[in-house]
Amino acid sequence: MPPPKLSLKLLKWFCKPEYHKDIEGDLLELHDRRKKTSSQTKANWRLFKDVLLLFRPGIIRSFKTSQKLNYTAMLRHNFILTIRNFKRYRTSFLINLIGLSTGLASALLIYLWVSDELKVDKFHEKDDRLYQVMRNFDRPNGIVTRDLTPTPLAEALAEEMPEVEYAVSVNDFFSWRSKEGILSNGDKQTEAKGLHASRDYFHVFSYDLIRGDKDKALVDKNSIVISEELAKILFNSTENIIGKTLEWNHAGFDGTFQVSGIFEEIPSNSTAQFDVIFSIEVLLENDRWAKNWTNSYAQTYLILSKGANITHLNKEITRLFEVKNPSNKNLTLFVRKYSSKYLFGQYENGVQAGGRITYVRLFSIIALIILLIACINFMNLSTAQASKKMKEIGVKKVIGASRNSLINQFLGESILAVFLSLIIALLFVWLLLPQFNEITGKQLDLNIDASAFLSVLGIGFFTSFVSGSYPAFYLAGFSPITVLKGKLRIAFGELWVRKGLVVFQFSLSIIFIVGVLVIKQQIELTQTQNMGYDRDNIISFQWKGNLYDPWNGLLEGKSNERFYAFMQELKNIPGVVSTTNMSGNILNKIPGQSGVSWRGQESDKDFLFQSPVVGYDYIETLGIELSEGRSFSRDYNDDYSKIILNEAAVKAMELENPVGEIIKMNGRSEIIGVVKNFHYGSLHNQVDPLIFRFEPHGKNILAKIVAGTERITIEGLKKLYEQFLPGYTFEFSFLDDDYQALYDSENKVSILSKYFAGLAIVISCLGLFGLATFTAERRMKEIGVRKIMGSSVFGIIRMLTGDFTKTVIVAIFISLPISYLIAKNWLDNFAYKIDLNGWFFAEAGLLVLLIAWVTIGMQTIKAARVNPVECLKDE
Amino acid sequence: MKKFRLGGFEEIVLLTVGILHGNAYGVTIKDEIEDRLDREVSVGALQTTLRRLEKKGFLHSTHGESTKSRGGRPKLYFTITAYGKKAIEYTRQTRNELWNALPQMVLNLD
Repeated sequence: MPPPKLSLKLLKWFCKPEYHKDIEGDLLELHDRRKKTSSQTKANWRLFKDVLLLFRPGIIRSFKTSQKLNYTAMLRHNFILTIRNFKRYRTSFLINLIGLSTGLASALLIYLWVSDELKVDKFHEKDDRLYQVMRNFDRPNGIVTRDLTPTPLAEALAEEMPEVEYAVSVNDFFSWRSKEGILSNGDKQTEAKGLHASRDYFHVFSYDLIRGDKDKALVDKNSIVISEELAKILFNSTENIIGKTLEWNHAGFDGTFQVSGIFEEIPSNSTAQFDVIFSIEVLLENDRWAKNWTNSYAQTYLILSKGANITHLNKEITRLFEVKNPSNKNLTLFVRKYSSKYLFGQYENGVQAGGRITYVRLFSIIALIILLIACINFMNLSTAQASKKMKEIGVKKVIGASRNSLINQFLGESILAVFLSLIIALLFVWLLLPQFNEITGKQLDLNIDASAFLSVLGIGFFTSFVSGSYPAFYLAGFSPITVLKGKLRIAFGELWVRKGLVVFQFSLSIIFIVGVLVIKQQIELTQTQNMGYDRDNIISFQWKGNLYDPWNGLLEGKSNERFYAFMQELKNIPGVVSTTNMSGNILNKIPGQSGVSWRGQESDKDFLFQSPVVGYDYIETLGIELSEGRSFSRDYNDDYSKIILNEAAVKAMELENPVGEIIKMNGRSEIIGVVKNFHYGSLHNQVDPLIFRFEPHGKNILAKIVAGTERITIEGLKKLYEQFLPGYTFEFSFLDDDYQALYDSENKVSILSKYFAGLAIVISCLGLFGLATFTAERRMKEIGVRKIMGSSVFGIIRMLTGDFTKTVIVAIFISLPISYLIAKNWLDNFAYKIDLNGWFFAEAGLLVLLIAWVTIGMQTIKAARVNPVECLKDE
Repeated sequence: MKKFRLGGFEEIVLLTVGILHGNAYGVTIKDEIEDRLDREVSVGALQTTLRRLEKKGFLHSTHGESTKSRGGRPKLYFTITAYGKKAIEYTRQTRNELWNALPQMVLNLD
């Protein structure tokens, strides 16, 4: 039974207030009468029914409150006031607009970049369960982490581990073998990048098959899956291709294969990029070592079941591996998320140690800092203008404006300023995006989808609140009486806040400048450092044709005569000074060699040596200095059993007379020479002990050419190459450029940090400029009086700059230790680095001081030169 | 004339207010209609009609005394305005015209 009170409450809630009184009266009168004639319960029910029946259009009140009307009026009022304020204080409005819009633009650019980085490799459908097996190799000088595992591992895991739903082995032709081969259909042919994969590949990775069945693709040994693009090139369409055959020619293997599927174009945010997939069976057939548990030939990718216990799985995988490979002593296996490969790819001593994520974090912080600097400008200028808004605030408060509505007004002002800047910032981003893409090597675009829109909106509101909240609370807190009397009590604390903010801005700017200087110097060092070999005028390219290694048992009946002929012809091209070849690359990917033993070896520790496999004339072509013995030569009929050490290796092995010494590694090896230490790779690494091995059929060819003849010589090389390897494109690079590429990320950081440091300084200076203008304006009368009393222009300049100078000097002292720590930390990435001397910091500090003086100079001089009559005549 | 158009229930309410002459407020109007026409009238229906008639200018309302049984709420008395009188006048007249136009035969057949 609804009590009468409830029914009446309901009525009061929905009834028009002007009708309510007498209707309630009527209802109560009826209720009273009914209570007497029938029961209380019935009367209550009737009352409730009557109220319900009163719920009809003529009676229900309007739910639009009058408050709301007022609110929009208020909003409009505030809007008009804001626009007027912008117009009146044009300088500070422009400063805010420029500062905020550049700040927002850089934040947006960085946001685009960061969100793109975070999306890499995350598009796979089962991304949260997609893992990769990694291998830790325990060595005396630390644990080395690699992604290569035994080929049969995937199958064994899929069979024996309940947590593993799918497992697939993938071999991407190794780092030392060309990934490209030639696919041909009759006379149509094209280069294609390939890899081997076992049959569940398309269950593990979400590359969509537009033709073919993912259960049947790659099942047969001779089946291949090709990309949509390849299908279009080779067949002109994607229809009716399943079952057709293609010819494949590659340095590692060749044959006829049957198309069993076509996959869609691989998204650009996938780290794996390929055109054609072969069955892993092909690899097993072509390389007799590939199926062993003792060799690491393949990457292993897993789809785990939901809620799988990773720690347990890691133990189980290593246990399984030890069962299959009982001779294993120093290998352990573990899994990591596939999508973490891109951002968290580095391992140090077996422990995950960052990777690209460092740069993602670094730039996120930079974006935040630049935005903060722009916000500080806004804060400082708005609070500095408080004296001008005093009367407005006082009158409003007297009339009855609440603190909240004033806060709303000022917050509204900042929101409007920020969103105006945001529009300009978006324009900037749109204009700068092509250049930004060039620097970062990405294809970002301004895609306004829902999430991006929300993020931009979020950034906008965040900026509004950060920049607007302090002034809003500060201004709205004035007491009306003091304000209207014209006394603005500037508390010591407030001045401190404003100065503190300027100090903060300039400290950050100085840190940026030191950063830029240090990076620039370090990069210069990498350019000028004598590496111990000569990388100028050397062209490097790859022999993409067949090459047979004696050690994998494929040489029988085949020969590398064609390659040797090519190398012979190469020397005859005019402009080519000397040529050589090697299996790996001088700059990276030098294979390691362990299991070396020698006479007088002290410990049984297993050293790992860097061990490049090189051809004839290697030492001569690269200009590496021999300190003892001789280099590999045709005259001595050198073969695999001859080696050359570097001095670091001689030192590590403690050999007194190295030349002629026999050491054991893959059989007996004779040391025929020693070279001086040289830096292979980048300056990030130390020079480690190194053993040159000899083999005349390395596929990476280096040709030293006469300076100034590049165009003609390359033309000649290209002609010869295409004559020997029809169908393959001649792709070459200069060794010097390859060397530069080693510092790619440093170079990018250097370029970007230069821009962002510039921005930070410009924005800080804008703020300082605004403050200087404002101070000069406010102290006009003081300046007038001082001048009349006989102060010189210089004296007034000194008085006006003194304050700012002090602030900037404080900023310098705060920021120098911080920037020293940051710079030192960054330089620790390099084995060879510049000395951090005091000049960097002195330079940065002076530069900032100078910039600050120039910024405030104009305003100060103008103020100091004012005719005192001008500013005193009003009174 | 369009402005005098009255609905059926509106006409009844208007006439009842007239009958109750001076003592017409929510409860009495409801009672009167229920008595005379022997039909149930809900407060909701009655109130909306009263307010509508007031809005159209046919009725005029004044607050009266409050009694204890009404929880201290005042009564709202309704009286017919001159305009309202014209409206019932007009309604009656049009009805009569229609009655007169009705052929005798039709009624006889009834």
